[in-house]
Amino acid sequence: MDPYSAEGELINIHNHFHQGQFQEVIDFDTSSLSSENEVPARVLIQRARIALGQAKDVLADVKGETSEPEFAAVAALAQSALGQVDVAAQAIEKLAQSAGDNQTVQVLGGIVLQAAGKSDEALALLSKHSGSLDATALITQIHLQQNRADLAVKEVAAARRWAQDSLLVNLAESWVGLRMGGEKYQQAFYVFEELAQAPATSSIVTLVSQAVCELHLGRVEEAQTALEQALQKQPDYADAIANLLVLTVITGKDPAELTSSLKKTAPQHPLLTDLEEKSDLFDKAASKFSAKAAA
Amino acid sequence: MQASSGMLTKFESKSSRVKGIAFHSKRPWILVSLHSSTIQLWDYRMGTLIDRFDEHDGPVRGIDFHKTQPLFVSGGDDYKIKVWSYKTRRCLFTLNGHLDYVRTVFFHHELPWIISSSDDQTIRIWNWQNRSLICTMTGHNHYVMCAQFHPKDDLVVSASLDQSVRVWDISGLRKKHSAPTSMSFEDQVARSNAQQTDMFGNTDAMVKFVLEGHDRGVNWVAFHPTAPHIVSAGDDRLVKLWRFSETKAWEVDTCRGHFQNSSGCLFHPHQDLILSCGEDKTIRVWDSQKRTAVQSFKRENDRFWVIAAHPEINLFAAGHDNGVMVFKLERERPASTVHQNSLLFFITKEKHVRSYDFQKNAESPTLVSLKRLGSAWVPPRTLSYNPAERSVLVTSPAEGGSYELINLPRDGSGALDATDSKRGQGNSAIFVARNRFAVLNTSTQTVDIKDLSNNTARSFKPPNIAELAVNGVKYVVWSNDGLHAALLSKHHITIVTKGLEQVSILHETIRIKSASWDDAGVLLYSTLNHIKYTLMNGDNGIVRTLDQTVYLVKVKGRNVYCLDRSAKPKVLHIDPTEYRFKLSLVKRNYEEMLHIIRTSSLVGQSIISYLQKKGYPEIALQFVQDPSTRFELAIECGNLDVAVEMAKELDRPKLWTRLGTEALAHGNHQVVEMAYQKLKQFDKLSFLYLSTGDHSKLARMAKIAEHRGDFTARFQNALFLSEVEDRIQMFKEVDLYPLAYMTAKAHGLEDECQSILEATGVTEDQLTLPKFGASLPTPKPIVPTFKANWPTKAASQSFFEKALAGQLEGMTLEEEPATTNGVEDGDLVEGDAANKNSAMEVDDDDDDAAGWDLGDDIVPEADGDFVNVESTDTSGAGSSEADLWARNSPIAADHIAAGSFESAMNLLNRQVGAVNFAPLKPRFMEIYSATRTYVPASASLPPLVNYVRRTLDETDPRKVLPIIPRDLENLAPNDLQQGYDAMRSNRLEDGARIFRGILHAILANAVSSENEVSEAKKLITSASEYTVAMSIELARRALGTPDVVNGNPDLLKRSLELSAYFTIPKIEVPHRQLALLNAMNLAFRSRNLSSALSFANRILANGGAARILESAKKMKAQCERNPHDAVEIEYDQFAEFDVCAASHTPIYSGTAYEECAFDGSKYHSKYKGTVCVVCQNLLSFSGRGPEE
Repeated sequence: MDPYSAEGELINIHNHFHQGQFQEVIDFDTSSLSSENEVPARVLIQRARIALGQAKDVLADVKGETSEPEFAAVAALAQSALGQVDVAAQAIEKLAQSAGDNQTVQVLGGIVLQAAGKSDEALALLSKHSGSLDATALITQIHLQQNRADLAVKEVAAARRWAQDSLLVNLAESWVGLRMGGEKYQQAFYVFEELAQAPATSSIVTLVSQAVCELHLGRVEEAQTALEQALQKQPDYADAIANLLVLTVITGKDPAELTSSLKKTAPQHPLLTDLEEKSDLFDKAASKFSAKAAA
Repeated sequence: MQASSGMLTKFESKSSRVKGIAFHSKRPWILVSLHSSTIQLWDYRMGTLIDRFDEHDGPVRGIDFHKTQPLFVSGGDDYKIKVWSYKTRRCLFTLNGHLDYVRTVFFHHELPWIISSSDDQTIRIWNWQNRSLICTMTGHNHYVMCAQFHPKDDLVVSASLDQSVRVWDISGLRKKHSAPTSMSFEDQVARSNAQQTDMFGNTDAMVKFVLEGHDRGVNWVAFHPTAPHIVSAGDDRLVKLWRFSETKAWEVDTCRGHFQNSSGCLFHPHQDLILSCGEDKTIRVWDSQKRTAVQSFKRENDRFWVIAAHPEINLFAAGHDNGVMVFKLERERPASTVHQNSLLFFITKEKHVRSYDFQKNAESPTLVSLKRLGSAWVPPRTLSYNPAERSVLVTSPAEGGSYELINLPRDGSGALDATDSKRGQGNSAIFVARNRFAVLNTSTQTVDIKDLSNNTARSFKPPNIAELAVNGVKYVVWSNDGLHAALLSKHHITIVTKGLEQVSILHETIRIKSASWDDAGVLLYSTLNHIKYTLMNGDNGIVRTLDQTVYLVKVKGRNVYCLDRSAKPKVLHIDPTEYRFKLSLVKRNYEEMLHIIRTSSLVGQSIISYLQKKGYPEIALQFVQDPSTRFELAIECGNLDVAVEMAKELDRPKLWTRLGTEALAHGNHQVVEMAYQKLKQFDKLSFLYLSTGDHSKLARMAKIAEHRGDFTARFQNALFLSEVEDRIQMFKEVDLYPLAYMTAKAHGLEDECQSILEATGVTEDQLTLPKFGASLPTPKPIVPTFKANWPTKAASQSFFEKALAGQLEGMTLEEEPATTNGVEDGDLVEGDAANKNSAMEVDDDDDDAAGWDLGDDIVPEADGDFVNVESTDTSGAGSSEADLWARNSPIAADHIAAGSFESAMNLLNRQVGAVNFAPLKPRFMEIYSATRTYVPASASLPPLVNYVRRTLDETDPRKVLPIIPRDLENLAPNDLQQGYDAMRSNRLEDGARIFRGILHAILANAVSSENEVSEAKKLITSASEYTVAMSIELARRALGTPDVVNGNPDLLKRSLELSAYFTIPKIEVPHRQLALLNAMNLAFRSRNLSSALSFANRILANGGAARILESAKKMKAQCERNPHDAVEIEYDQFAEFDVCAASHTPIYSGTAYEECAFDGSKYHSKYKGTVCVVCQNLLSFSGRGPEE
């Protein structure tokens, strides 16, 4: 039986993880789990710690256990999170050969490879999965990152057929929905809002996601409320700051303060790198014209 | 017809046969008259017998409460009608006159009348104020079983065993007895004559209609409360419905069903229902429109004799052989649901679904009507709302439990009848996701998960996760955080965790109605007459009393939102201080407690005893003023200071004793000393001084003992002080010479021995002395304990107390919890370690775990799909939405948003000839950064980028377009106003910058309609004119200070010219006035009176602010005397010209000029090919020749 399914033991910890309630994952009482679920639960806990920025500790924790493919994958993920993306990717590639049908290796490997920019390898590894929603969600995300919304839609639709109302399917569908737009915005909003507003499932991740939906729906004020709520929970949450920055620009206000705070908390945030890149692009493009004018 | 469980018995009494019943209209009281001659007064809410009245002789059949006075009337088989006061609990008087059993008695609704019916075949009307019989109505020729006044009109209806029902007109009676204001003598005569005719013809009360139809005697008859209907019940087992008009009356229909004599009947006060009861042991409910049976209720052994309705609320009572029962026909709890803490959805009594906004405190109009749905007389029980689909799920107990799924109309425009509904069987149904709902079937013990088209997606038996035996749970209320639930039974509330572990249970003697959690985890619940609270630990108390039963739906701060019985949303204000205080006590949140204590007036015996009970006497101490209570509390918490203070104030021996004991236990001997002193316990005092080593006081004690002549004490003290002489002296005084001698001898005081011997005349030889041991050394105190209280028992002052006393800052309050946390942390670490260990042990099982769900047969199919997808399409990245934007739009702004800056620049270059893009950079970046949002997706991967659109409803990728910040809608009210402000307050640099910003914003912007295009054009022109105007004035100011300018004729000329040009651009009139005023003053100062005059004239022509006009008028008057210019300037007030934006010189009409393609600013033709100074990015102008 799938331990992540509604009847499975891991449903709660698994849901916590994907709802972005990382602390709850770490605090999860694993003592009552049956023996075969210990490892998946531990992997989830380690992933949650990595997500909370404790990659170094995690790396130290699993150091002695890298003979197990699961923990080798966790170690690679931790390395990747610490910025050693290439080392991690190599480790995963090796693992993929030896234990390519291990689900944990597939999922974590997918993340590491994608983070290293090797989307095709990531997809290849993930495609080996057998009924893993984690893998499905990842594949969806990678497709979206590659701007292949069409493939992402297919992926989700296929998963819907066998996993119905699972949390991950709903999330993945919402991600896709944010690309599709129209009514899908509203549907995505409902999914995130449902998660973000119920105390048992609320997390900063879902709150920010909800805000993004609202932003896309043109409901700027609501989005602002949600983002400020998120920042209250965790003032240095980069994605919340980034989205608030976007929102500030949209409302025609000066985003300088947010830009500097984002620079402080997450100098590598895609928003900043992207803007920098575009700034250079602008200068380059503009110079062509003034050159012509001078000529 | 089914026997539905819809009838809800609220109260039952046991007694002998009940013959009459009456409800009190306001209080929860019911009067019951019994066959055994007793009248009982019950409180049916509390279930208590309030009073009994035993003055009738034989059965009491008729009974009625007065509507407003504290009176009731009864009539019995002793032929008597008695009027009682329930306040004084006695019979006020008796009305005699009937010659046989009195069957019924009723008060008139407004006049001081009583109507009675009797076996003597008469109906009589009495005035209870002057206690007289005012009318006797004869006509029936058998026992009259029932007679009632019409609730409004001057009519009476009566039922008799002569098989008829009669309607009587009593308007004559009213006329006669209504107080005459003025009456002529003739009238009076006529009146007294008329009265005489009573004897014969009954003109006061005339039979209006005789209704015949019953085949046997009629037992009961009643008017409809509002409509002209009559219902009667008879021994022919029929309930008949009659109708009457001004002139006639007729039988409408018959309700058949009773299989024995029907003894009572009435109309439902609010609904189209008839209730009847009979000797067949049933109560039956009929639809008065369709005359069909709706419900019936059967009792095993008891025949029903009488039925009554409460005049206001939905309550009925029926009397039978063995007592009375009070019941409701239906549940009154309105079905409701709270959505997102902001909206309440509920179903009204008319079966309308409405919503109520907590924030706005506003009720919506009817969203949808459920009238046509389900059984007419069964109200819905629960409601579940789905915001995604705007639909509701309603369950009702009808048909053994059913649910219906109804879509709310989108427009919400009014009371539409819900037509399309999906329904099914089930006891309970709720939405569980936006497109799923769950239905519970109790008979099969299954839960079905259904989708919105009512297809079952999954059906399962709920797995038994946890079990807890709780009796009679009727409702479950989840806490806001979903961790706890309150299980409501009739008289119990059980609080459980979500794992069904019992947290606490509480018992209420009266019915629990509803409950709701507040945000802090306190459960507020309503009983029939209170709102109460309970904490998790079971501590509870009353929040406020209720005059009306309510159903709580939400608690927020000081407001409790609830629905009353008629399903009207209400807001009740409560004082949450008490339970908040208790909650913070339980949570040890001392700061909050402190805050509450300081800011609110929390006093009262209950809170004190609560604190005492909970072991917080020191906190209770803070609330008490009464000295004796304070003393008790102080003793309990060991606060001696307060105790001493209080003891001094009260000064009672008992208290001093207790204080002494307590202080002794503390080692606080100074207080002990005080207590002993107060109590005059010299012995104890002495011993205390001895033990504390206080010799001086001990000596004083000895003195006191001497004064008091208390030898024992003196001896004691002397002993303590080792004062041998004193002891000897004392022995001598009490003639105990042998002892004195012994003492002296033992201490080697030979002289003393001798003197004693001499005094007693005994010689040493005559004495036999025991052997003396070594004399005891005098105890010497090592430490001067008496100087200070030491050692004392460790002070038991709590942090809290100290904080209250202001000795500590708030910080220290944390100390205690902090240490406990530390301990817990330690535990956790251990626990973690244990976990790790166990994890290590099971590592071996990994391989098994990896082989999970391959058995699942759906997976292979899905898998196939995956493979398919992967194999065809893994060909790498697609184009992002941003690329689409650039493709979809010819507008530069959209290209900027897409990040395609170069193409955007190309577009701008083509469209408006832009080349100098550097000033546009902020605008470019602004647009670009407003278009991308970041959704945190899978953990450990960068967020997913999404693209914000302005085409919200568009899904066609060929039509989607990006959002553009600071669009036209935004610019006009914000930036433009700022620019105006800058102009008004003379901040021209700012102004120029703002207007240029506007130009840049419009340059890269998107317009969606013709309207917006023209608006944009207007905005561009205006911004352009302002920019030129401001730059002219700024150029003038840049010439130098006034002194410098005045000293240099060239500069002066230029300055005057510029000031004149400043008035040319087409800026808003009030701003132009400023420019003109400026120019006028400058011109005047330079004696350019002609120019100044022209400016003044223009100001006056423009009109506006009075102050400016005033100075213009003065100026005009002055200048007109000598309209000549001192300085020749290039300004022709009569010529039409524009100002070149670059050189700030006039471009007279008719000369060739260049115009900026974007902002329309004009230049001398020599500037062709340079950058437009206004919008700063244009080079090529469209040439405009003189021919244009």
